[in-house]
Amino acid sequence: MSDYDVIVIGAGNGGMTAALTVARAGKKVLLLESHNVPGGCATSFIRGRFEFEVALHQLSGIGTPEKPGPLRSVLDRLGVTNKLEFVEQPDLYRAIIPGVVDITLKAEREALVHELQQQFPKDKDPIRKFMNLVYDFSMQMIGGLFMKDPEASKEKYPLYFKYAFKNLKDVLDEYFADPYLKCVMGLYWGYTGVPPSQMPFSDFAIMLFAYIEFKPYHLKGGSQSLSNALLDALIQAGGDVRFNCEVKKIEVKSGKIAGVVTEEGDRIATNHIISNASTVRTYVDMMDPENIPAEELKSFKAMTIGPSAFIIYLGLDCEPAEIGINVAANFITSELDGDKAAAAFKTLDFHQWCMLSCYNECGAAFSPDGTSQVAIVTLQNADPWYAVPVHQYNDVKYRYANSLVDFCNRAFPGLRDHIEEAEAASPLTCMRYLGQPAGAIYGQDNFAKDSRFFVSNKSPIQGLYFTGAWVTTGGFEPTLESGWAAGKLALADLKK
Amino acid sequence: MALQDVLNDIEGYQDIVQEREVLMKYGSDMMHLKGVTQRRISSLHPKRILLTVSEVREETFSAKTLRLVAREGILPPFQAGQYINLFADIGGIRTSRPYSISSSPDQTGYYDITIRRVEDGFVSNYFLEEVKPGDKLISSGPSGHFHHNPIFHGDDLVFIAGGSGITPFMSMVQDIADRGLTERRVHLIYGSKDASDIIFHERLQEIADRHLNISYTPVISEPPVVYKGKKGFITAKLLQDLLGDLSPKTFYLCGPEAMYTFCLKELASLGIQKRKIRIEVFGPPKEVALQPGWPEEILPEQRFVVQLKNGKTIYAQAGETLMASLERNGMVIPALCRSGECSLCRTKLLSGKVYHPPGVKLRKSDRDFGYIHPCIAYPLEDLQLMI
Repeated sequence: MSDYDVIVIGAGNGGMTAALTVARAGKKVLLLESHNVPGGCATSFIRGRFEFEVALHQLSGIGTPEKPGPLRSVLDRLGVTNKLEFVEQPDLYRAIIPGVVDITLKAEREALVHELQQQFPKDKDPIRKFMNLVYDFSMQMIGGLFMKDPEASKEKYPLYFKYAFKNLKDVLDEYFADPYLKCVMGLYWGYTGVPPSQMPFSDFAIMLFAYIEFKPYHLKGGSQSLSNALLDALIQAGGDVRFNCEVKKIEVKSGKIAGVVTEEGDRIATNHIISNASTVRTYVDMMDPENIPAEELKSFKAMTIGPSAFIIYLGLDCEPAEIGINVAANFITSELDGDKAAAAFKTLDFHQWCMLSCYNECGAAFSPDGTSQVAIVTLQNADPWYAVPVHQYNDVKYRYANSLVDFCNRAFPGLRDHIEEAEAASPLTCMRYLGQPAGAIYGQDNFAKDSRFFVSNKSPIQGLYFTGAWVTTGGFEPTLESGWAAGKLALADLKK
Repeated sequence: MALQDVLNDIEGYQDIVQEREVLMKYGSDMMHLKGVTQRRISSLHPKRILLTVSEVREETFSAKTLRLVAREGILPPFQAGQYINLFADIGGIRTSRPYSISSSPDQTGYYDITIRRVEDGFVSNYFLEEVKPGDKLISSGPSGHFHHNPIFHGDDLVFIAGGSGITPFMSMVQDIADRGLTERRVHLIYGSKDASDIIFHERLQEIADRHLNISYTPVISEPPVVYKGKKGFITAKLLQDLLGDLSPKTFYLCGPEAMYTFCLKELASLGIQKRKIRIEVFGPPKEVALQPGWPEEILPEQRFVVQLKNGKTIYAQAGETLMASLERNGMVIPALCRSGECSLCRTKLLSGKVYHPPGVKLRKSDRDFGYIHPCIAYPLEDLQLMI
């Protein structure tokens, strides 16, 4: 006998949408979360008079009610859209190479092309051609792949077949010579953590296309409001949830899911589990070795764990404009070569590549009047942090944080003098709150070989499904949508 | 075309397939990660620490220090100023209290916590009277934000302590002395009722004598007729006399409720900016009905029915925190700061109304969706909780 039709492990983005998808179909679902707050990355915390957004920078896939993006459609179907207040950002990002380049790209195709042409007049022609490629490629990807065209072929979708697995660096090199232009154009690689020479062009093109077409958004109340809305809807739909309740073990009987055991030793029976824990921890930490499918362990060998992040949350006692912040998303770098910047993620040397988000620039009420909320993020692998002796950990963390603040202070002079609250999070902090191996924020390294064509969200174990960054790309939209997909898979199997 | 045929036709697909083949032969085995993530997290942030009381030291007539050592493994690091939440079972009631660690973080072998007797101190009096060397205790991992933050506090610091509020500063001062952080200048101003009440007086004096960058000024509010030191309260004038140029300084405050009210006004009168003032959180207010916003018509003695989702029903007094009422009835919910700050006890209110004192750190969307922090929430009506 099952206690629940489906048990969902982890109340991250994917876990919440998965649980809600199943609950709304009338199935009995239990969501288990080891932390005390839902959301995983999609959360906030308070220091002084500031409530800090933890992870959301630019929500993709929203669009408008008239022209909904993929994520809005999923949230609509889950019945939570009307509980959320979306705030549109007019800009993609401001790119600052201190002392050399300072350019703001609008989230609008023509304006973006125009702005780039103004700043890089020698490359007028290639700029337009590159944007044409991004658009034409994306349209072919949507038509051929997303819409599952049965007649998809090389002849019908030539750009897709040529460029899908090319890397971003090669394509940028094909179109541009100016290293500054290449740097500015390719900055969104940071949102997948894969440096330009490794990032599949398809991931880049579709991201840029979608941000322009559906615009970047933020949420009033931050990503916690999304997590709370999803959880509330789950409770309304009759779903059960337990916080502070870690799953210690997944029970498998003759190749089928049989149940879970919690940290308190409760055994809960079910034949279907959707895991929002990483694929690695789901198998390696939660299952007896004899139950782990050999082909999954073999597949793990082809994978490497992706980066974590180093983040500084700042509450400033001034308006953003006072220190020259006028755009929500800012990339700041002195390292033109993304591959070099990414190589430094694996060391404790600060590498002059970061992103600075200022939430006040996407609407009021993100912090009290006369103040601003800022998050500075750079990617960092956890490995160098393992080598830091525990009793030196805080010193190393503050040293790293200070070099990052100093660097941003060059782009926004005065930033340092207005800090009223500050909190730093290292890869080990990410590991603590997310429970992810190596504190990974985007799952495994999102190389082409780890894309959806090679990694499945359905385990060979009957009744086990995955959601979250480890079976899609990282980020809010993909993980939220992956929960919907996993929920649908489980529902289909429940019908059998 | 089937997906596989599409893939086969994409440029570079075969290379990726081959790459995967090679990696699956020679890549690293993820089984080596078994237990690793959890172990790494626990080494810095264990959920629970198993402790033994190794020593109990009398500090003053009303204060004692408990020295706590690890029962297994090593104690996790902490930042001077942080606290641990210490659990206790007192006459069948399972509860906890947060105590700042008073020893130096550079002393990795033990945590000292220093406890002073307070009136009606249900838990503190238990630790003072009942606990003896050899006893076993359990605590949370170190936590809290009342510590030096090099990102923005600077190196010119003023510590203002009152009564047992000296404990986090004792740790911070020792840390600076132990590590020879000579660039960090500190003036500790410590208010006590009378001289016999000052905790750590000799040790603080000795540290200040030996370190040019550390100054120490005890201030006595009820001095004997003849007293040479500073007297009265910690006023704006006293601060100006002692400190000179105030503009570069960051002020830290830790002490009883009344001291915050008084000293924050004094600091404001000196024009000290908000970002230069750090305040340690303190537990529930002594008399919640005197707090701003408390509804007049509700008396602290009034009792309400609290229904829990597990079917249990308990009675809770308006003047007592929900967490205390729950614990009194044998319900233990996760607790850490017990001051409304850390949100570990975050609980959904299904119906009814509670009072939170000003300064409770509730997220905006948590307010919108009806979450409360029971450690500092008081019932104003009959309630239903999702516990």
